[in-house]
Amino acid sequence: MNQNLARQLEILPLNLSHHLKITVIALAIGVLVGLPLSILIARRPRLRYAVLTVIGVIQTVPSLALLALMVPLLAMLSDLAERTVGTGFSFFGFYPTILALSLYSLLPIVRNAVTGILGVDPTLTEAAKGIGMTPRQTLLRVELPLAAPVIVAGLRTATVWVVGTATLATPIGQRSLGNYIFSGLQTRNRVAVLFGCVAAAVLAVILDVLIGALQKATAERRRALAVASMLALALVFGGGLVAPTLLAHWRGVNRSDQVGIGAKTFTEQYILASLFEQVLLDAGIPARRNESLGSSVGLDALARSEIDVFVDYSGTIWANAMNRSGSADRETVLDEVSTWLSTELGIRTLGRLGFENAYAMAMRRDQAEALGITTIADLARHAPSLKIGGDYEFFERPEWFAIQERYRLDFGREVTYDSTFMYEAAYRGEVDVISAFTTDGRIDTYDLVLLDDPLGAIPPYDALLLLSPEAAERDDIVTALTPLIESIDDQRMRFANSLVDRDEDKKPPYAAASDLRAAIARPTPP
Amino acid sequence: MIALASVSKSFDDGLSHSVLDLDLGVRAGEFLVILGESGSGKTTTLKMMNGLITPSSGSIVVDGRDIASVDQVMLRRQIGYVFQGIGLFPHLTVAENIAMVPSLLGWPRADRADRVDELLALVQLDPATYRSRPPAELSGGQRQRVGIARALAGRPKIVLMDEPFGALDPITRDHLQLEYLKIHRDLGLTTVMVTHDITESLLLADRIAVMCSGTLRQLGEPADLIAEPSDPYVAQLMETPRRQADRLGHLIGQTGSPS
Repeated sequence: MNQNLARQLEILPLNLSHHLKITVIALAIGVLVGLPLSILIARRPRLRYAVLTVIGVIQTVPSLALLALMVPLLAMLSDLAERTVGTGFSFFGFYPTILALSLYSLLPIVRNAVTGILGVDPTLTEAAKGIGMTPRQTLLRVELPLAAPVIVAGLRTATVWVVGTATLATPIGQRSLGNYIFSGLQTRNRVAVLFGCVAAAVLAVILDVLIGALQKATAERRRALAVASMLALALVFGGGLVAPTLLAHWRGVNRSDQVGIGAKTFTEQYILASLFEQVLLDAGIPARRNESLGSSVGLDALARSEIDVFVDYSGTIWANAMNRSGSADRETVLDEVSTWLSTELGIRTLGRLGFENAYAMAMRRDQAEALGITTIADLARHAPSLKIGGDYEFFERPEWFAIQERYRLDFGREVTYDSTFMYEAAYRGEVDVISAFTTDGRIDTYDLVLLDDPLGAIPPYDALLLLSPEAAERDDIVTALTPLIESIDDQRMRFANSLVDRDEDKKPPYAAASDLRAAIARPTPP
Repeated sequence: MIALASVSKSFDDGLSHSVLDLDLGVRAGEFLVILGESGSGKTTTLKMMNGLITPSSGSIVVDGRDIASVDQVMLRRQIGYVFQGIGLFPHLTVAENIAMVPSLLGWPRADRADRVDELLALVQLDPATYRSRPPAELSGGQRQRVGIARALAGRPKIVLMDEPFGALDPITRDHLQLEYLKIHRDLGLTTVMVTHDITESLLLADRIAVMCSGTLRQLGEPADLIAEPSDPYVAQLMETPRRQADRLGHLIGQTGSPS
């Protein structure tokens, strides 16, 4: 079998079991909250209008944003809990995912349940009252059984939605089938992306068929079919609930003992996470990777020891976390960042990995030569007639404001890309300038040139190996990782990135990490 | 058995009245028919007797107790009710429908099963055949038989019926009317039935209460109503069956009676 496909299959149990678990729990909460809520509002028209409006508005929030918003919300609640009852909780990964997905499942569940209850023939509810049923008995013996097919149809819709939306839990630190999609998109691994999509679709179809059978059973009042479909659903749902735990048990790992390695959503971070995992495992320290974290999520998670090892870049922390404008020399930035991390967040900076992954303006070589551009300063004159492309965050980052201000840049158009597609867009002439990362392998692949920054608007971006407060106390982790300090130069990192990002003879991140490790062990050629 | 004193009901805060200042007594063991057109207040009157509708003013005494002071749910369980639209629960079997009131009253399972079979036999449905069928598989007449069985399940002394035979074909209606009359007599029930069918009221009732625009126009035995209508509206009503009877008698006279 294709090696890439084999690798995807190997991690399927892990990704699938987590995906199923979050789907099941979110739906269970959706039903447990949604059904009583529906019963409450069915008889109260004004309350019904208000509730349906609120959950309708929740539905209009894009699902990725809803998931991301839950992280700061829970962080706030966690802080509050810590201050009032003395103990906080994890606001990263599982809880924000469950909260967002449960909210998301409410609309179809509540809307259908209300419609179902209100749709019961009034002569039947009057008959129920007339023969002496209490309102509660009328609800349980007449209204709910008669509304059941419509209620189950709502559950069916909710299930398909939640299975799909759960793939977006990956960037907030919850493993799901989305791990295939996010890391596949970043490493240009189309097999992984497709694999994730197909797996999610198959799961949705299976659940849809099972709940469809339940719906048919309730509509046609076929008890045997109802029991069979309920049993099958209970099996799938119950299985999903315990699968991650069973899987971990079977593999003989206890999650709480594992060192968590965080990674952001791009190739270099995946390779480094694999590298650390290999190094730690060889030192006999159990480790797991938490990949595809949103940029700001990682540092928060590290400060709370939700993850233990993480690589961030000095300039990123300088500009975004510390809100410093402009730049300073490399050592000053490093010192101030380390001190700030330690005092503000309790994070220990183990050291520089050796390379810098800076933001840099990049252009096609032929166009830069034709226009006579070698520095960002040269750009200013041509900017109004040029298009610039950036990744999702670039145009909102303080570095970009600093660049625009220092060089008085005013581009004709700004276009936002996923960083996967940005380099190719520059190569194909869709845009003229991009916000490249200096270690990205595609700079060489597409023959782009990096423009100098003579006015020093862009801060240095040393890759820093960071440890959580808990990991910083552990000598075994420190000893295992310390040899990596100052061991990876720009050229090595860029080469490792290109192994994954190129189109021909691609390697998965863990293989590139092995190569990188071998390269580190060799003395640098003279 | 049932006594209404100065009962009024308005659904629009007194602007108009569905029932106005009604005094009506139902004797124990009698078959009382409330006769009236739609909008006459007859169904509202019936529904006030078991608390489905609360009167705006006046008092209703059932079996010696003012119903405003008793548990409405328990009251309704003790009074049989046959609904205009029959109102069988489509998600339950015939047996489950009939056993509903005994189940609400907390009867043991075995007693409920016995009662279901007893009642099915009473309304001339074979228990083994019909017990576990859903209502959707029954004809209109069979459904109303089940409706009557359900009303009788809790051994009520009083049965209220809201146009119970209105939707049935004439032959089935005739059968069911006579069968119910027999049940009423055999079980010693007090029955109050609402109808707009003059002939039906004359054939079934011990006494008829004629209502129009929310008020009682005349209360009396069928023969008295025909012979001595005290109200022009009642007189006009009674003209219809009399005319029909004359024409039918003429027809039967022409063809020759089989007797």
